[in-house]
Amino acid sequence: MVIDLGSLYNFPYEFDKIFNVVFNPHHQRRRKASYPPLNIIEDENNIYVRAEVPGISIEDMEITITDKNIVLKGERKLPEGRYFRQERPSGVFQRIVSINTTVDVDKVTASTKDGILNIVIPKSESSVPRKVGITVE
Amino acid sequence: MSTERNMDKFSPATDIVESEQGFYMYMDLPGVSKEELAIDLDENTLIVSGKAAATLGADEKYIDQEFCEGEYSRRFTIADVVDRESIKAKLKNGVLELFLPKKAEVQPRKVQITS
Repeated sequence: MVIDLGSLYNFPYEFDKIFNVVFNPHHQRRRKASYPPLNIIEDENNIYVRAEVPGISIEDMEITITDKNIVLKGERKLPEGRYFRQERPSGVFQRIVSINTTVDVDKVTASTKDGILNIVIPKSESSVPRKVGITVE
Repeated sequence: MSTERNMDKFSPATDIVESEQGFYMYMDLPGVSKEELAIDLDENTLIVSGKAAATLGADEKYIDQEFCEGEYSRRFTIADVVDRESIKAKLKNGVLELFLPKKAEVQPRKVQITS
């Protein structure tokens, strides 16, 4: 198993994850305890936080960003009625993602498409790797 | 291994609510667009299947992954009281809403009272 020391590396969580994979090989991924499931992705210039939030409009969610954390808060309400079968989760949720790199807090954007929330967090200039030109004399 | 994981099949979480007019079904299908969704009715079986869009773009890498792309598929047996001709489907915000109306003869009717 390759341990990736990315900029959002979170050791205790990573350790728990390995532990879970070893002891519950059939239960990885999908339907974890925390809601909504998040993917944290990075490329050279941005960090993306994507969440599965079907049926929740962007107005029903609150995204707060500080220098260290992104907090995603919201409430999922289901239509009222006589339920025959009820499997979809509902209620208040909150997830906190810690960022261990410098980001440009003012340029964060968020959008939803087909029930997937996409938060784009640009890395600040200083944390983007830069090529240093070497001149040979 | 990776291709197999990408083709994971999920059973979408579904709510079914009954009303006087019919049944409402709500299905969570995050990442599925209208083009990738198929709803088939085969006699008494309703089959909903869809493919979720890729979760990773080019040049991107995961720091942490809790959900992945895959296929959704689920079948339901439909009661005889459902009017098969007028089933309605709506996909919005990753939730599929199906309305299965009851046949006119089983819907509650007001009885006129004549004195």
